[in-house]
Amino acid sequence: MKLAEISRCFQGVIPSVVASADANGIPNVTYVSQVYLVDDRHVALSQQFFNKTRRNFDENPNGCVEIYDPVTFQAYRLRLRFLRSEKSGPLFDTMAMRILAIASHTGMEGVFRLVAADVFEVVKVEKVEGFLTGAPVGDEEVSPAGFRTELRGLQLVSDRINRADDLENLLAATLDALDVYFGFRHTIVLLYDHALQRLVTIACRGYGGGVGAEVAPGEGLIGTVASERRILRISGLNEKLRYGRAVRRSVMSDTGSLHVRPEIPLPGLPDAQSALIIPLLLEDQLIGVLAAESRDPLLFGEWDETYLGIIGNQIALGIDRVSSDESPAQATPQPHEPPVVRAIPPPPARARHTLTYYREDDTIFLDDEYLVRNVPGRILWKLVGEWKRQGRTAFTNRELRLDRSLGLPDIKDNLESRLILLRHRLREKCPNVQITPAGRGKFTLDVGAELDLVER
Amino acid sequence: MSTETFEHFMTGGVSVLVGTVDADGVPSCCRGIAIATRDNFDSVTVYVPAATAGETVANVATTRRVAVSCSHPLTHETLQIKGVTRGVRLAPASDEAFVRQRLDEFAAVLDEIGLPRRVTRSIAQWPAFAIDLSVEQVFDQTPGPKAGTLIR
Repeated sequence: MKLAEISRCFQGVIPSVVASADANGIPNVTYVSQVYLVDDRHVALSQQFFNKTRRNFDENPNGCVEIYDPVTFQAYRLRLRFLRSEKSGPLFDTMAMRILAIASHTGMEGVFRLVAADVFEVVKVEKVEGFLTGAPVGDEEVSPAGFRTELRGLQLVSDRINRADDLENLLAATLDALDVYFGFRHTIVLLYDHALQRLVTIACRGYGGGVGAEVAPGEGLIGTVASERRILRISGLNEKLRYGRAVRRSVMSDTGSLHVRPEIPLPGLPDAQSALIIPLLLEDQLIGVLAAESRDPLLFGEWDETYLGIIGNQIALGIDRVSSDESPAQATPQPHEPPVVRAIPPPPARARHTLTYYREDDTIFLDDEYLVRNVPGRILWKLVGEWKRQGRTAFTNRELRLDRSLGLPDIKDNLESRLILLRHRLREKCPNVQITPAGRGKFTLDVGAELDLVER
Repeated sequence: MSTETFEHFMTGGVSVLVGTVDADGVPSCCRGIAIATRDNFDSVTVYVPAATAGETVANVATTRRVAVSCSHPLTHETLQIKGVTRGVRLAPASDEAFVRQRLDEFAAVLDEIGLPRRVTRSIAQWPAFAIDLSVEQVFDQTPGPKAGTLIR
């Protein structure tokens, strides 16, 4: 039997078991958090703590691992011989990334980390005969046609990315295509804001809101992908989080809760069973993160990791392309283009809102509720101010770029992503004030309420 | 560790793993179905399915050394018991209901964490071997910096 035939046992949905023995022939048996398939003759076990299993392999290289098929629960035993511990390199980095992400999510960075990837030769693989009575349940052949469909899907997603003429369309079309062609129902795109030094959610699908949510690099699963700039694929997420929480409880019972950072809530599905998260990179520069998650513990396979990596590269290039179409350098003043002023019709009985700008922390509140902050907040404050003072309703990206008070950087200002964020926040929180695209580089401010503006 | 703590690991819904070693020092593992004590943990009896425990039974007949890990899947609280085999026997019919009940309780916990009963109900459970062992050492094996602490 070849290891490739049982590759889904290595997705980590059902914890594996490892048995070892010391030089005196005393056995030890325990769960192991990660059995990584290196190639058809080698596996690697994760070593988080220098434990008894690890000491036994220094004394006696023989081991036995029992792994389980996550669909049928069929058991397989691998007879192993310990070869070496790797503390750096691609294998170590890949295994460390998964553990680092879980540790970060559960507030256990530094405590719960990969010490080494222990590499073993697989001497023998055997099915545990008699483990299940009757035929396995739920076993299905994977059709090669599925792969062909996904290749076609990859082509279609690429096509949509290339055809998008602005950032909002690009992101919406991409997430729609991932849903339609790949079955990824829950997806998020976060863009990195260099000024804030945070990732800001700019598009999402399947959640009913969430644009504007922020994550710091290094925090949780998404933040870890951003800081490590590596793809993360996790199956059996609940199981791994339970493991992280067990470590957390153990540490807290020793040190008290004061020294332990609170757990970071997963953005998105509270009951996600698997996640595939990829960094959006342009050369070495972090553009953002694309995250897909699912309640199906087996939705994302190695193949998805590969093609989503390709899609990620295309999204990063697409974001750069649509953002560069109107760069700050092109935003020269055009004095002959007068500002557009719409006649304001006498309002019927309309809603009344107060927008309050808090200068100290750069935030805007709608009545008593937080609305938006930082650059998108300053943009909104400029727009509603000019609407109130001059009755202006039509604006251009160009004039925003020339307004130094907004604090947009000279290079890679991400203006379009900030406008998308602002549009989404208004749509969610204040339907009476809307920003509507009006052709390339132009938009209108549509106000359907009485607005009181207060600055503090 | 208190008696109550030990009892916490003798209840239903616990995952039982059995590790053994042959005369050449080659280890083996198999899943147990149930564990019980009748003398306040001086000894325990571990039930392993006859269908999958051939190697385990052969090993304990040769080296007598056994490691048993008891773990709560929801919390990962884990104990490891190490001991010497007193004897191996085919579990009597009077134990069948107990063994089946333990597998049902374990399946219920797995169902709660996403492995459906339609899968786990086909795990082999009976007939079973009963391995009686004298408890020599007990370790806390809950994941974390204290894993491996000798508690008895």
